Amino acid sequence: MQQNQARLNITINGQNGDFPDPVAFALSDTEIKRIAAEAIRTGYVPSIDPVAADLAYFVVDRFPATREMPARLMLRPKTPFGEPQR
Amino acid sequence: MTQRTVTIIGAGALGSHLLLFCRNWDVALRVVDFDRVEAKNTASQFHSAMGMGKNKAKALQSAMQGLFKRKIAALTSKLTDDNQSELLGGSDLVIDCTDNFAARQCIQDYCSSAEIPCLHGALSAEGDLARVVWSEHFVADQEGQPGQATCEDGQNLPFHGLAASLIAQIAQQYLADGTKQSWQLTPFAMVRLT
Repeated sequence: MQQNQARLNITINGQNGDFPDPVAFALSDTEIKRIAAEAIRTGYVPSIDPVAADLAYFVVDRFPATREMPARLMLRPKTPFGEPQR
Repeated sequence: MTQRTVTIIGAGALGSHLLLFCRNWDVALRVVDFDRVEAKNTASQFHSAMGMGKNKAKALQSAMQGLFKRKIAALTSKLTDDNQSELLGGSDLVIDCTDNFAARQCIQDYCSSAEIPCLHGALSAEGDLARVVWSEHFVADQEGQPGQATCEDGQNLPFHGLAASLIAQIAQQYLADGTKQSWQLTPFAMVRLT
């Protein structure tokens, strides 16, 4: 993996897997969601069942590389448990 | 040596179960929640029919005393910008088990300014993802879309237990040797974040 690249990890429907190819760390959230949606739809992500995924409410956490771990982009559902505040 | 204080804020799906796994820690435990136990809570939280109608923190105080003879402090105020110091101050560790953006932001801001280590636990509405993340890496999500599931029927109860166990494991490791790890959890997979 090159210095400006990251591993893209995807969580959807309680399943989790890594997108097989490295991606640019600087990709926008919109671009990441586009890549992920296509990969999920076509079954390209190991451990995630193919599905037409609506990722509009998903978020991307960005973790730069450390000595222990490579750079990672974590695409996941939001985690607000409970009803939206009124 | 003075006993350390651990504050758990939020005594719902995560916080109530977390308390079970902290019961043998050699720390002073403090639980904060302003809400009351409703019948629906008994399906998805560690609250029983005996606690119904009581404040959640008080109900857990009674339950922990009755079941395990474990003393905990119960604080029953709602967290605001004006009482952060009263509810969270003096803690050696704060564990955020709240369920909304405003509270998480308030906790994160206070702990950052007071230099109190803070571990956040967060569940997705569908019960298919939990995040357990130290404050320096945590980004509180804005609320989800209207009409989301809230799992009040207890369908995701085993996953709540897994998530609460993970919070306890990470906090216990921190208390033992200062190690800070962040993880995310799905029902059948764990991924280390930091």
